[in-house]
Amino acid sequence: MFLFTDLRVMLRETAPVHSLDPAGRESAEKILQKIESQVSILREELLQ
Amino acid sequence: MKCAGPIDVRDVDESYINIDPIQVGGRLTAEAMKAVIAYGDGYSVCDNCRKPFRLDQIKTPPVDQFHQDLASFLHMDVARVVPGARRGFQAVAGTYVQKGDPVVITALSHYTEVLSVEGNGGILREIPDRDNIITADAAAATIEEVSREFGRPPVLLFLDHFDYQYGNEHEVKEIIRVAHQYDIPVLYNGAYTVGIMPVDGKALGADFVVGSGHKSMAAPAPSGVLATTEERADEVFRTTVTKTDKTSRTFGVKEVEMMGCTLMGVTLIGMMASFPRVRERVDRWDQELINGNLVVEALRSIGGTKIRSEYPRKHTLTRVDTLNSFDKVAQTHKKRGFFFSSALRDRGIAGIIPGATKVWKYNTYGMTRNQAEYLAKSFVEIAEEHGLPVG
Repeated sequence: MFLFTDLRVMLRETAPVHSLDPAGRESAEKILQKIESQVSILREELLQ
Repeated sequence: MKCAGPIDVRDVDESYINIDPIQVGGRLTAEAMKAVIAYGDGYSVCDNCRKPFRLDQIKTPPVDQFHQDLASFLHMDVARVVPGARRGFQAVAGTYVQKGDPVVITALSHYTEVLSVEGNGGILREIPDRDNIITADAAAATIEEVSREFGRPPVLLFLDHFDYQYGNEHEVKEIIRVAHQYDIPVLYNGAYTVGIMPVDGKALGADFVVGSGHKSMAAPAPSGVLATTEERADEVFRTTVTKTDKTSRTFGVKEVEMMGCTLMGVTLIGMMASFPRVRERVDRWDQELINGNLVVEALRSIGGTKIRSEYPRKHTLTRVDTLNSFDKVAQTHKKRGFFFSSALRDRGIAGIIPGATKVWKYNTYGMTRNQAEYLAKSFVEIAEEHGLPVG
């Protein structure tokens, strides 16, 4: 949820067109990777 | 998409540039959003509340330190968190205003200042404005008039540093000096300053500094701060002395005007989580004014448009008169006055009252430079598309 919050703030800072500069894209990429990793952990711990 | 039941997801600030004059300074920081998720339950800050059982004494989370930091941030001696600036007004009025007492406000005072005085039976007298500015000369004249009328000076004076109608700066320091010559305590209303620009209550000479968490301190509503001097703290933050008649109960160190504890959960934790960023951001006020002026100049370039607020601007909240520009378009447009808010909405800009084309307010606080440029360009484009002269 905290990672989604970081994405939410990014959306706010770039509203309304949400065009990310290279640094923004890099940050977004890192956050999304972390979310994917956290989802994998949750999937493993909750569903197995 | 719904949050729950009939409640829509709110995405105003994610999908649009929000220029609502009262919302922009209260938008949460990322830190506050995260803290709010963790502390959403009712009395969430009370997990480790120990004797003497009072909010400002809680050590975990560090609520006690936050109170000290708030006082120091405002250059005052003692601070308490309150459920909105209005509750700060109410606490001060409750302490100093008795039935029939004269109290001075200004021609641009917020209605909650009026209600706080009315609630205690006080009688209001206004300092008139001159071109929407409250001057020390006008304050001195009003205090003299009130003293003659009531046979004694006012018991309290409320003063907004920047008012909510125009975002104009008033002669705060000079007015406080005048009031103190009559021994009148002064409440500095910093709803539009505390948390967005530096405020030094001691340098201004204020007896009370009130700020709004949800208006200018990136905190959830209702939240705010009431800070005061060592001298006044024992009065406004007096503790209960009641002993009940049948059960002989007493209530420790609970503060009467605070009604005991004030913000016990998500409001306080949001304020606390945002505070480090708020403390930093006040030093970037100059940059906020640069962004604001960029938009003001774009509006001024549209023929017939007038800035009703003082100019050049000293605040990001601005009142603009488009009676001779966008309102002229509205008279013949098929959407009437709604064309303007609709055109802004189409460009991803929200926060202006739908249908408003005559005199309206907006606030650029918290925008990035790119967003300010986008907003300025959008106003000009809408004008050009509807045949208004620009230049």
